[in-house]
Amino acid sequence: QVIPPFSAPGLVLGLLFLSTAATGSCSGKYQGLLEQLRSQADYMQDTSRLLDPYIHIQGLDTSGLKEHCKERPGVFPSEDALWRLSRWDFLQILNATLGQVLHRLTTFQQDLPQFKDLGMVMLYIRGFQSNIHCMCQLLGSSSEAAKPTQASPAPPLPTLASDAFQRKLEGCRFLSGYHHFMHSVAQVLREWGKSPRRVRRHSPRQALQKGAHGTHLFSRGRRLAPSGQLPW
Amino acid sequence: MAVFAVFQTTFLLALLSWRTYQSEALSEPLPLTPESLKVSINSTQQCLHLQWSVHSLAYHQELKMVFQIEISRFNTSNVIWVENYSTTVKWKQVLHWSWESELPLECATHFVRIRSMVDDARIPEPRSWSSWSSWEEVDEQNSLGHGTLFVFPKDKLVEEGSNVTICSISRSYQNNVSCLLEGVQMRGEQLDPNVSAFHLNNVPFIRETGTNIFCTTGRGDGTGTVLFVSKVLEEPRDFSCETPDFKTLHCTWDPGRDTGLPKRQPSQSYTLFESFSGKKILCEHKNWCNWHIAQDSQEMYNFTLTTENYLRKRGVNILFNLTHRVRPMTPFNVVFKNISDTNATMTWQVHSIGNYSTLFCQIELHGEGKVIQQHNVSIKVNGNYLLSELEPDTQYMAQVRCGDANHFWKWSEWIGKNFSTLEAAPSEAPDVWRNVKSEPGYQTVTLFWKPLSKSHANEKILFYNVVIENLDEPSKLQLHSIPAPANGTKLTLDQCSYQIHVTANNSVGTSPASVIVVSGDTGNKEVEEERVNVTEDGFSMSWKPQPGDVTGYVVEWCDHPRDLPCDLQWEKLGPNTTSTVISSDAFTPGVRYNFRIYGISTKRIAYLLEQKTGYSQELAPSDNPQVVMSNLTSHSFTLSWKDYSTESQPGFIRGYHVYLKSKEGQCHPGFEKAILPDDSVSCKYKIYNPEQKTFVVENLQPESFYEFFVTPYTSVGEGPLDAFTKVTTPDEHSHLLIRIILPTVFCVLLIMIICYLNSQWMKEKCYPDIPDPYKSSVLSLIKSKENPRLTIMSVKDCIPDAIEVINKPEGSKIQFLGSRNSLTDTEITQPAYLYLLPTEKNSSGPGPCICFENFTYNQAASNSGCCGHVPVPLEAPSQLGLLTSPENLLKVLENMNSLGEIPAGETTLNYVSQLVLPLSRDKDSLPTDPPVPALCSEYKMQMAIPLGLASPPPNEKSSVSSVTLLDQGEPHH
Repeated sequence: QVIPPFSAPGLVLGLLFLSTAATGSCSGKYQGLLEQLRSQADYMQDTSRLLDPYIHIQGLDTSGLKEHCKERPGVFPSEDALWRLSRWDFLQILNATLGQVLHRLTTFQQDLPQFKDLGMVMLYIRGFQSNIHCMCQLLGSSSEAAKPTQASPAPPLPTLASDAFQRKLEGCRFLSGYHHFMHSVAQVLREWGKSPRRVRRHSPRQALQKGAHGTHLFSRGRRLAPSGQLPW
Repeated sequence: MAVFAVFQTTFLLALLSWRTYQSEALSEPLPLTPESLKVSINSTQQCLHLQWSVHSLAYHQELKMVFQIEISRFNTSNVIWVENYSTTVKWKQVLHWSWESELPLECATHFVRIRSMVDDARIPEPRSWSSWSSWEEVDEQNSLGHGTLFVFPKDKLVEEGSNVTICSISRSYQNNVSCLLEGVQMRGEQLDPNVSAFHLNNVPFIRETGTNIFCTTGRGDGTGTVLFVSKVLEEPRDFSCETPDFKTLHCTWDPGRDTGLPKRQPSQSYTLFESFSGKKILCEHKNWCNWHIAQDSQEMYNFTLTTENYLRKRGVNILFNLTHRVRPMTPFNVVFKNISDTNATMTWQVHSIGNYSTLFCQIELHGEGKVIQQHNVSIKVNGNYLLSELEPDTQYMAQVRCGDANHFWKWSEWIGKNFSTLEAAPSEAPDVWRNVKSEPGYQTVTLFWKPLSKSHANEKILFYNVVIENLDEPSKLQLHSIPAPANGTKLTLDQCSYQIHVTANNSVGTSPASVIVVSGDTGNKEVEEERVNVTEDGFSMSWKPQPGDVTGYVVEWCDHPRDLPCDLQWEKLGPNTTSTVISSDAFTPGVRYNFRIYGISTKRIAYLLEQKTGYSQELAPSDNPQVVMSNLTSHSFTLSWKDYSTESQPGFIRGYHVYLKSKEGQCHPGFEKAILPDDSVSCKYKIYNPEQKTFVVENLQPESFYEFFVTPYTSVGEGPLDAFTKVTTPDEHSHLLIRIILPTVFCVLLIMIICYLNSQWMKEKCYPDIPDPYKSSVLSLIKSKENPRLTIMSVKDCIPDAIEVINKPEGSKIQFLGSRNSLTDTEITQPAYLYLLPTEKNSSGPGPCICFENFTYNQAASNSGCCGHVPVPLEAPSQLGLLTSPENLLKVLENMNSLGEIPAGETTLNYVSQLVLPLSRDKDSLPTDPPVPALCSEYKMQMAIPLGLASPPPNEKSSVSSVTLLDQGEPHH
């Protein structure tokens, strides 16, 4: 369900999100909104949107360098942590993380003027945030949304390295983590569709961590494939 | 002051002399030793900065000195650089010197020391170096931090084509570092157990984000650096400045390639400096800049355009007089006035460039996308120009541009506008030609005309008017209006002379008339056809000039002579022209074109002068003639192909080739050996006359086999190779035999016919037919006059009562049909008449008998018992098998009945007998011993037998006597 980024439907979708954010009007249909979020997450997990062009522009698509373009653990919330969040917290964390991503992408935009598709991707992310906002409004009236959790906010992004080579690698790792994160988000949102009123908080995987206080959002991430669709 | 200077010099010399003496005496260094040496590092530029001072100088003392600087790497003994730095040293001055290291300074510990020597002319020699300063150590490795692997330099910016040294520092025990440049491993040099250097020569520009260098120790760790390679800054090209109004100078240039690197080096900057005024501006754009001209300022300008980036600086210079660099602004307000069908006035305005300035303007008139007129005009402020010689009803585009008339520099931009001229009547008469066909009593005139060109039509042609004026009766006028786009019409006229006027008409008016005259008597004489020359340009033809008044000539031809209509074309030529070249795209190789040249008399009557024919390109014949062979003798035969048309061939037929093959392989006189396209050898005879269409092949051998083949040839070649026709000559006597046998056969046939006719005559004379009693005239006479009761006896009225047995040599078998009893040989042993008249017991027949003589009697049949009722001995040979059975015999009888229309079975006696009698006896006995009753008559009968059953005729000795029963029908012959 990946929407081509700069095809006519993709453009319409992006402008639709923008329109939603601009007017502030939200659709009152949960399923429709959820479908939007899911499609958007699927779209953003595709590494051909950001990571692959970045690697190419920076010249990192050579042997020896590709292998060092790994996600740095702790920058983005892990999938396990996302599963443990309430829907409300999930959306809040997602929104905050996307805000940080936008900030970093703005830096990329300044450093890499030849990365012309970046602006459109940022437009999509803002549209996604708008949909998150609408979903939060929908959940705000439900009892589940009112439950507070101990979800920690997204940590601040690490400062940029001084030399250009490290900055290249850091950018690459950041985008790798971003796509991985959006894959996890898509997985969670897909679960929402199966059981609208149930949050998968007690899967066998999470049961091992049961009893721990709070939710560790930023655990060791998995390696992300350097290009193409994520393997899961 | 001078006294003070002298004193100072004296003091200085005294001091130096004293120090020299002291140093020699005490072996101590001179006191002008560099002191306070400090060394610092600029990592970005890989530079060592040295600063020191010379404390021993006197107050306000200046002294030229030389400082020798030594730089060592890794240890003091490894001196890598020695340089003498000369400068004038002042009192308390801090001296600076920089050295750029090829190797990144972070990768090695450097040591620096310095010494000096006075190099001032005021100090007499000998001079000597001071003692060295102590080594200053520069070590950046201590500040690297906690890594295990480092790569330097960081983010270095170099120009494309530079040489760069990369170094790596490994803090692990095993220095097994490998470095990759864009994924390609580099060869390194081990400088130190922990330091490796990689020398890159002539580095290329790869991408704006830099060239990646990545080093690893192979244990999963790795680091790298980015080498930013900038393109080489180019000198600006085509730098020039101009002013449109003496208020602003607009300077432009070609900046060349951009050397900017994101986040590392901005694009090169451009500054404009004018040396006379000393003003300088930083240009905001990379390829143009505007310079404000102050009121009543200088006339000469000397501009320097400088471009620079972090690595390089370049500049170009121009010097010019401002009045020579005027490029006026684009004219405006272009208007067309007084537009007619052929003229229009163009007006425009220009921006003033000064009170006394004159502008030089250029006007271009475009029609159908091409420049058709170009004019120049000088103006002050307002310009106008009369555009003439325009075509009516035509759209044009006129544009204007201007330049400074006094010192032309450059044209302004064009400004243009479209306009259309007014419509007009067609300006030229249509080009008309005709084709006249004279028939008995009338003539058919077909008029053709060419459409007027757009320039002559002046508007869309709506129709053509054809006025026919009878010259013999001027009052008779006909007008035909033919709508466009027709290009001709057909007229049927009588034999009078007519003058025909053709005009083209559009919505505005009528064209001049094209006039031709056709005369009832064309007067065209027979003109011999000539061949026309062909050149690369077409058919080149000329004709004799005509005596008398000729108003012109017309050459006429057909573009498609094989089609109907043939697409008649013509070309009109002036009276002084006697040659022309006709060309057409329609001319096709291998097609014969006929050209007729007419002269036009003063009375506008065309008369044929010459006829020419030719091919644009001759081809070889496409087919061969159908050859007929005749007069075959043992020594010759004749070939002829008279039906072969030379006119329809793709080239002028020049003759024929006769090929002859014989088994002997020898060529006859007149023939020559030739190799055919299929590589076979033949004898060839050339006929050079295309009209000769017969050929006699002579000198042949009797009873020999020959093959021949005839093909025409043109200038290009001969016809296609077809199959040879085979012929065998007869022997020498065969013709004699034919001469004898044929007449003989004819004579025999003639004789046979004569004999046949004679036999008919003889028959008529010797054996006439038996007369028909019913047709006897006597019968009618008897009927009418004497005895009405007398009549010809009818057979059916006969009642057989007896059979006369005349002779019985072989034994007869008689069957008495009426009683169905048979008589055997034993019962009838003697010749006798058998009375068949009914007895009282077995009489069943109604009438008397009749005796017949049957000429068709067949003794063999009789012998074989053809009656079937008579027992036949088995051994008796049967010569007529079909009659051996009673059924067959009955069939024969039925046939007879049918022939005589005698229905069998209607008489009680159907059959009597058939006996063989000796002719003499027969002749004698029958008349003498008639079988009474008297009413019986005797007949001779010829019996008709089916052809297939015919038996050999009876011999003369055998007499046939037959008695049979006939029906009441007419007797048969």
